Amino acid sequence: MLDSIDPKSAIPIYQQITVQIRRGVAAGMLVPGDQLPSVRELAAQLLVNPNTVARVYRELEREGLLETRRGQGTFISAKAEVLADSERGRLIEEQLREVAKDVWGFGLTEEAALELFRNVLADCTRTRKERR
Amino acid sequence: MSENSHAIVTDGLTKRFGRMRALDQVSAHVPRGSIYGLMGPNGAGKTTFIRCLLNLLNPTCGTGTVLGYDVVRDSVAIRQRVGHVAALQPLWDWMSVEEFGAFMAGCYPRWNREAVSTVLDRIGMDRQAKLGMLSRGQRAVVSIAVAIGHDPEMLLLDEALTGLDPIARREVLREVIEAMHEEGRTVFITGQDIADMERICDHVGFLIKGRLAVESPLDDLKARVKRIRVEHPAGDAPELPAGTREVARNPRETVFAVIDYSSELLRSLDAPGQRVAVDDLSLEDIFMILAQPQTESSE
Repeated sequence: MLDSIDPKSAIPIYQQITVQIRRGVAAGMLVPGDQLPSVRELAAQLLVNPNTVARVYRELEREGLLETRRGQGTFISAKAEVLADSERGRLIEEQLREVAKDVWGFGLTEEAALELFRNVLADCTRTRKERR
Repeated sequence: MSENSHAIVTDGLTKRFGRMRALDQVSAHVPRGSIYGLMGPNGAGKTTFIRCLLNLLNPTCGTGTVLGYDVVRDSVAIRQRVGHVAALQPLWDWMSVEEFGAFMAGCYPRWNREAVSTVLDRIGMDRQAKLGMLSRGQRAVVSIAVAIGHDPEMLLLDEALTGLDPIARREVLREVIEAMHEEGRTVFITGQDIADMERICDHVGFLIKGRLAVESPLDDLKARVKRIRVEHPAGDAPELPAGTREVARNPRETVFAVIDYSSELLRSLDAPGQRVAVDDLSLEDIFMILAQPQTESSE
């Protein structure tokens, strides 16, 4: 996590970093109380502008996902647990929206699309069980 | 434009060499505390611009200030407050790193040995090594280390990343980030590798044939310049908004770029039987689009 930035990507760098932190929280890789690197450390580690990292921290702090303790650093906030739930929903929704565009574009019916999704879900569940 | 909020301001700065205009009416604004990347092809005027800022060249016309000081009248004050690394900075090959540091320290009333050492230590630089024996990457880092010795408020780095291998580039990028972080120091850097510049810059300018074709905060640029695809499987081609660029019309799809994207513009394209997709663009694509002349309104 927090290790790969693609400067050639069309997605702005601050957004790439934001998404990685959000995903980390949603996936339980970052939990309340975890300390994030300082702005300077993360900027040097990712080789990006410190202003960009500062902006990411500021925005996520305003959302309540992060909190800054004076003189100590930036941490995943206690509220992140609650936010993680809605975050998970939001991340899935985002991807489904992309799929929905194609469903519409290809002229599939709603029923056909749902049927496909059900099959994919069933397939994934089966594979997971077999692995265990 | 306030001289307090900006480290560099130029107004119509022009430099002619005979009939050739190396800089043509350049009005640039570099905010304090930013990393500003001036990009453009070879011969676009990037180095000429830096040389004008340091009064190594006299502008033909136009004015400029650096840290509030006039580029022609106050060049001594400017050089005391600015660290400069020239493109392919010439170094005295027979000097050791140690001797070079001591020599440069003698040129300034104050010298921050500790700051210089910190940079040299990060790449494990042997102080007794002769400058002539260093790799290009090491030379670049040594040049930066020495350029911050007099605690400048701003660094001017000319092509500091050009021609370096990937490992050396990472080392130099890191030093730029570290140098910038000290007390919100401003960094003005020129270069050609757009991906590198995109990593570290928050403001960018694009120079073409001596003209500043674009100047913007990087994020604004990405939000404003978009490629739009309108699919119209059955219906007619859509009416395009004014000022579109790079228009490509296919039988069932029209693709074009806009430089002033907004949600209103998106709504204006909304028509029955038509699907609109908006693509984000890389900085390279954005520059290519902005460098092209505007297409005349369709048909």
